[in-house]
Amino acid sequence: MEFDEMKKIWDAQNSRPLYTLDEKALHNRIQSKMNCTLRLTGMREWLLILINLGAGGILIGFNRFKPGTNIFLYLEAAWMFATVVYFIVYRIRRIKASRRFDRSIRGDLDHSISLVTYQIRTSEFIRWNLPPMGAIMIFSGWEGGQLLKVSTLILASYTLSFYVVSKGIHADKKRKRSLQALKEKLETGM
Amino acid sequence: MTEKEQLDILEEWLKLYKGLIFKVVRAYTVADHDDLFQEIIIQVWHSIPAFRQEASVTTWLYRIALNTAIKWTKKEKKYTGAETLDHVQHLLQENRIQIDERLTWLYGEIYKLDEIDRSVFLLLLEGFSYKEMSAMLGISESNVGVKINRIKKQLIAKSKNYDNHGIR
Repeated sequence: MEFDEMKKIWDAQNSRPLYTLDEKALHNRIQSKMNCTLRLTGMREWLLILINLGAGGILIGFNRFKPGTNIFLYLEAAWMFATVVYFIVYRIRRIKASRRFDRSIRGDLDHSISLVTYQIRTSEFIRWNLPPMGAIMIFSGWEGGQLLKVSTLILASYTLSFYVVSKGIHADKKRKRSLQALKEKLETGM
Repeated sequence: MTEKEQLDILEEWLKLYKGLIFKVVRAYTVADHDDLFQEIIIQVWHSIPAFRQEASVTTWLYRIALNTAIKWTKKEKKYTGAETLDHVQHLLQENRIQIDERLTWLYGEIYKLDEIDRSVFLLLLEGFSYKEMSAMLGISESNVGVKINRIKKQLIAKSKNYDNHGIR
């Protein structure tokens, strides 16, 4: 079969649709998915910002109203506020960067790669943020005289968080590699 | 643009161009037809405010559909389960009786190509010029040409082994 014949076979399907579509079912499913997608857009960033802001605020409040001042709790709160600034700056950069990609398929792939790179960086930041935050918390527990109980809890929760974030980074890196492989396929003749 | 206007445009495009999206869906998935269709429609819906009529609607839709499908292929390898087959029965029904066997063969061969080659060949079958393909894919015209020559040779050689209707 020559290409012209393939083209004729291909064009013939225009008068015979491949599928029949249940438009009502599609409408319902799309509506619910779109609502869900809209809700999830940027949720991760806002969640991180709000959690750090809230936790930092609680630490300051707790430190102010309890008897005796624990300097490590202030340090921890300051660290959390710095993290919030970092996430806001990164969010603005990401939104600005999303406008610079062209509308070709390669442009879309570049955009996806850039987004996943952003997710990896954010997760890496969270992961390497955990040990110093954990250390500060342990010191604050130490100063508060609750070393063993508090440190064990803190260490366990931070280790678990570190593990979960690391798993996420691993998945994102895998996704990035597959996107890069697609881009390479697109750019090379093969 | 209000959400209502966006949905009106989507419905209009769906009425006029759903066949185009069906082709991409059929070429890119074996089991998850309705899920991929749904995903493409959602991406199209998101893209509507950015549509400035610099490109034709078909070019725009092809670009979004192919881009979604290319990335979808990676997902399909992970998620192939009874759940998605269940969706197929509810949303899209294949018109099996009317399909030319040679078309089924052609879709089968297109599906065997890698994700990028599939999109190049679909655009070629749809009659897009090298220049248009180059703009849609974001690669040079000569690169498009190299890919097309290779894919054409490959498919013509395979068609020689197909004896049904004088082609397998």
